[in-house]
Amino acid sequence: MFSRTALARAFALPVEQCAHFSVARACLHSAATASTTTTTQPQAPLSATPRVQTSAPSTKPPASAPLDPASLKKPVAPTFTKPLELNQSLLSQLPNLTSQQPHYIISHLHDKPYLLTQGDQIRLPFLMPNVKPGDVLRFNRASVLGSREFSLKGAPYVDERLYECRVRVMGVDSEPLRIKEKTKRRRRHVQQVRSKHKYTLLRVMDVKIKTAEELLQEGAVVVDETA
Amino acid sequence: MPVQGIRTVTAARNGVGAFILQCKQLDFHYCDWAGSSRGMVAFLKHQLPAFAKANPQIEIRVSPRPHKHPVIKGHYINGREKAICVRNLEPEQIFNKANLLKEASGEKLKRTKKPITSLNESVRGIWSPYHGGFKSV
Repeated sequence: MFSRTALARAFALPVEQCAHFSVARACLHSAATASTTTTTQPQAPLSATPRVQTSAPSTKPPASAPLDPASLKKPVAPTFTKPLELNQSLLSQLPNLTSQQPHYIISHLHDKPYLLTQGDQIRLPFLMPNVKPGDVLRFNRASVLGSREFSLKGAPYVDERLYECRVRVMGVDSEPLRIKEKTKRRRRHVQQVRSKHKYTLLRVMDVKIKTAEELLQEGAVVVDETA
Repeated sequence: MPVQGIRTVTAARNGVGAFILQCKQLDFHYCDWAGSSRGMVAFLKHQLPAFAKANPQIEIRVSPRPHKHPVIKGHYINGREKAICVRNLEPEQIFNKANLLKEASGEKLKRTKKPITSLNESVRGIWSPYHGGFKSV
């Protein structure tokens, strides 16, 4: 599943780049409108000031507005009862995995596994509700983190504090119209059933496995299993 | 020595760093006389300013197209365009169609079986029968 809780942190880097790009594009557009004058001239230009295309409004924590029915459905922030525990074998093996780029992650969404690397495009087999293009989601359920030679398997899932996997909502895709012809026996009538499903497009922004130092900095504790 | 083109070293992957909406321009065409444009005219009068304000990254053009049905055309970054005929539709339905064009990727509609498309090389490499700890042949 995904959570929007860590989105504010996720925006720290991409927002600046977003701003840079959208400004450039807005300039291009205004130039295009100036060269080809349209027949109708609105008083206020409809393609207005450049704005960062992010999901900043939707990332407001739902706790602030609990009365809104839409916000009630949002996933709650993860509350960890105890800090992440690292044993000695994990601490000794983790540098092998973290130092070997690139990484992949088998992330689970509605219990379906997706093997992801950075930059991959995902077309989900469903239309994800309550998201709009530009939103950033964080996948927090993974069964395997790995590199070429090493992998860290969860039982059944890896603790979500060990890695960061973020995806960006790119838009909505559709399939071509499907027409299924249905017939009944001894009836000279063919029923046509039409379907045209929509799918959400995602792009994997980063797959990052945290190093042992980062984990310890974030409050992980080392447990000694021999004792 | 023949002239050689410059090889691209990177492929553009929108959304990894910065994100640009795929729809760059929406054209709204209407007819002042025809009845099939009635919903479209109402949409242009009442809902389009709010829609344009909510989507400043999209260039919006409104132009008459006399004696024809009303049409919304979306232009996309990949160079393609999508047109939807909105004859006899209510303003709310037209709003939904405009939203559809806004969120679309601009690609031709395809039926795909695999959810993931990747430009990266396989992380784990290609399986080989001569390596690894197989127990028996």
